Amino acid sequence: MKAMLWISSLAAVVALGFVLTSPPAEAHHSSTPFYDDTQDVEVIGTVSRFNFRNPHSFIYIEAENEDGQMVEWEVELGAAVSMSRSGWTRETIQTGDPIRAVGNPSRAAGTFGMCCARLTQPDGSEIQLVRFESDEVPLQLVAFVASLAGGS
Amino acid sequence: MRETDSPLHSRPLACLAASVALLALAMGGAPVEVTAQTAVAAVPDLVGVWDGGGRVRRINGPNMPWTPDNFPVLNERGLAYQAVFDEAIAPKYDCVPSASPALQYDPYFMEVVQWPDRVLLRYEKDDQLRTVWLDGREPPLNEYTVQGFAVGRYEGDALLVETTHFVFDITGFDDYNGIPSSQLKRVTERYWREGEELRMTLTLEDSMFLREPASYTTRWLPAPEGYRLNPYECDAEDARRAVKYMIPKYR
Repeated sequence: MKAMLWISSLAAVVALGFVLTSPPAEAHHSSTPFYDDTQDVEVIGTVSRFNFRNPHSFIYIEAENEDGQMVEWEVELGAAVSMSRSGWTRETIQTGDPIRAVGNPSRAAGTFGMCCARLTQPDGSEIQLVRFESDEVPLQLVAFVASLAGGS
Repeated sequence: MRETDSPLHSRPLACLAASVALLALAMGGAPVEVTAQTAVAAVPDLVGVWDGGGRVRRINGPNMPWTPDNFPVLNERGLAYQAVFDEAIAPKYDCVPSASPALQYDPYFMEVVQWPDRVLLRYEKDDQLRTVWLDGREPPLNEYTVQGFAVGRYEGDALLVETTHFVFDITGFDDYNGIPSSQLKRVTERYWREGEELRMTLTLEDSMFLREPASYTTRWLPAPEGYRLNPYECDAEDARRAVKYMIPKYR
């Protein structure tokens, strides 16, 4: 019974790997006045905060710059209401998570903003995004796996 | 045309008929045709939560929904305002809500509620609610708001909405092109069903800044079963956060 519950629970969520690209242009502002879309920067560091909000979410990443000093990057994402429809929650990214972001740097000198970022694990592997059964995961899949568990 | 001459005003008989039709629909009956002035109108069923996101239509931007083909012709005043526009001044960076004609094309969900005397248009973007009055009331004389004052009526298989009494808005045209709108802005919307889709043609007039009306047509698809609009609760701190990344236009 315990095993069945475990398998059933496993079936109730589907882990979706993602390499996220999230331009902030969705409905609020264009990225080009703020970010240089002709350049890419790469930041590998640790998540210090994740603001899952509207009109834009932000991930803050503490990382070492070229001079060996710690810098906090602000990575702009889409609106929380839109991201939530893709399975994001405010727990998707946690403080302390290691992360890699590659995206367009902010234009103003001395700022550390980034947009339109590809977010991955530091080694480039995908971040796992968990999507619940109620969020468009086919119920048949849940039923199928649960019935297998019951039969074994 | 003066506002009081508009065909969208003073329709008590039409509204009464529309109310009767809606009541009949609510009681499970077939759509009832009603007489609205000179035309016979059935009340279209527009009720529901509608998806206006990226799976339904191209995301808004400098060339969407205003393409080279439908981009409005600005007068000298409009061109001058556009030339001096500074992105940093855009009210949205302080969570001032999006308004017509941009709000309708923002890639979010929208809910339509049809009551006998009004239609409620509720937007996930910026938590906005527009009330379209069907009872023939006149706009308040000196009341200007972000969303304006909307009146409407059913015509044929469509809902017609006319909105006036907008406040001056430095980005009142859209979120991308730095074109303002004035208190003279008039937005006309026509909503109708095309199978499962909800469609709308919007026409924008503003003689303060435009030489001629501009128009776009878009659509929504039904939201997933059971979907309810999420609160937007715009965060003023995050709304303005990216402004510091721009190279300032003015010092």
